[in-house]
Amino acid sequence: MKEIIRRIVSSIVLIIVVSFITFFMLMMIPGDAVEISLGTEATPERVRELRAALGMDAPWYTQYLSWLTHAITGDFGVSFTYGETVTSLLTSRLPVTLSLMVMAIIIAVLALTIGVFAALKQNKTFDIIARTLMQIGDAMPQFWIALIFLVYISAQFDVFPISGFTPFTESVYGGFMSLLLPALVLAFGMIATLIRIVRSSMLHSLKQDYMLMTRVSGMNPVVAIIKYPLRDALIAPLTVIGIQIAGLISGVIVVESIFSLPGVGRLLFSAVLKRDLFLILGLVSFIVTSVIIITLITDILYILLNKRMRREES
Amino acid sequence: MRKYVFILSVILLLIPLSLGIVSFFYTPYPITEMDIDNRFSGISKAHLLGTDQFGRDLLSRLMVASRYALLLGTVSVTLGLCAGAFIGVISALSNKWISMIFLRFIDGMLAFPGIVLAMMFVVVFGDGLYSTLIAIAIFMIPIFARLTYSLIKEQQHALYIVAAKSMGLSTPRIVWRHYLPVILPRLVTQFSASIGSAILIESALSYLGLGVVPPNASFGLMLKEAQSFMLSYPYLILPSGILLVITVLGLNLMGDTLNDRLMKLGDTHD
Repeated sequence: MKEIIRRIVSSIVLIIVVSFITFFMLMMIPGDAVEISLGTEATPERVRELRAALGMDAPWYTQYLSWLTHAITGDFGVSFTYGETVTSLLTSRLPVTLSLMVMAIIIAVLALTIGVFAALKQNKTFDIIARTLMQIGDAMPQFWIALIFLVYISAQFDVFPISGFTPFTESVYGGFMSLLLPALVLAFGMIATLIRIVRSSMLHSLKQDYMLMTRVSGMNPVVAIIKYPLRDALIAPLTVIGIQIAGLISGVIVVESIFSLPGVGRLLFSAVLKRDLFLILGLVSFIVTSVIIITLITDILYILLNKRMRREES
Repeated sequence: MRKYVFILSVILLLIPLSLGIVSFFYTPYPITEMDIDNRFSGISKAHLLGTDQFGRDLLSRLMVASRYALLLGTVSVTLGLCAGAFIGVISALSNKWISMIFLRFIDGMLAFPGIVLAMMFVVVFGDGLYSTLIAIAIFMIPIFARLTYSLIKEQQHALYIVAAKSMGLSTPRIVWRHYLPVILPRLVTQFSASIGSAILIESALSYLGLGVVPPNASFGLMLKEAQSFMLSYPYLILPSGILLVITVLGLNLMGDTLNDRLMKLGDTHD
């Protein structure tokens, strides 16, 4: 319990540090956000007015504190380019990104079986092929996989749209099809690492003395494998899922841009292209905070699972 | 088996390396030379890998792209390694409070997804070759800082360090003569593993139009340019993509073998 509270406190500290880093970095931008947003035609008076209206004439720490206190209540300010609040932009884009990520994670979890079989057939043909493919998969940039999918799958088969997104409310099938390829690309980025962890965890447990014991006691080998190594192996990826989530979000930005899905990643990308500071600040803080919270949850889950397992064993 | 993997990684790496080195003094065509009559020429005797939408020679562009990829990867990771190791040493050896501030800061940086951090740096520094380099270097700093920190903490109570301290050696000298030789192999392993990911980040940034900008050549940029024509000329996305995969695969395999070697060395020492 003490450990869990410690994790929660350090995560809160981390979120504040991250928001500070983000804010500070964007403060360093050459030129002034207000001047950029008003363009070259702006009169000095207009610049001064807007700056005062946005509270940008205050010293940076005041600005940071006021931004932070607003951000906590869910108010990230207004986007220059869209003229909407960052929060409303975010909530309208979030469903696409979330369904994309959930689909990618489901695909990745299904792919874990490869790791399980690779471990059971260590150094046999299946294992060697799986490992070779994983090495190659690790070296392939996601945007290239996406391009190949577009050219050799989307363009050849009509069932997959080349770009764009059909909302699930319109057509469940269309929504599923428009997300399937992007989700596959995203899953590709995580699969290699996850399979490797599952495989090595399986190998580790298979070599333990208790596996020999199950043999000696005449336990059905399939039951024995399900009961011990498989259970360990499926918990192992939890430890890295935090890191995986960060990687997943990197992938989301690229994949959403390529498949033109109206999600958070593409929103951030267009915000970066247009130097829309409040939007960047809000989105980056939101993304990184989510990463930290997801990591925290997996950490706590891991602690709890470990404790239960230890109790069961003793 | 291990030996063959190492040989394979060397062979794979030699491809972009030789292309990149040769590109310094020879390319079949200047990389910006356009030949509009010969656009999308496909594989031919005049253009071994064909031409792009402006009739520029793909092989020449790929040679220059491998040069940039390897240079950007190596230089940015080297910068990240030096700065990161320095910060790691400081936070491991200074008092509790300074160390805590450094560590929180490092953790904060590590919480950013790679591309997000790099994108923010591009917003700050503008796009182009040098800001891409700096963005990737800064992205690497916390990784090496964390590693150095934990390596030093691991060794802090080892007998040889305690002995060196009791002899009254200065801290910089202890770091240089005693810590560094011990932690260097691990840093080198991380170094070789990181170059691959640095190249992947560079290509993704260039692909998004935030990294290396035209008329320069880079794998990501070439794929970005190919994208608009890929439905009519699917071949265009292959050469640069495959060479990129070969480069990163070679680097990753090299890193893996180094890592295995190191583990074995560690075992015999114990």
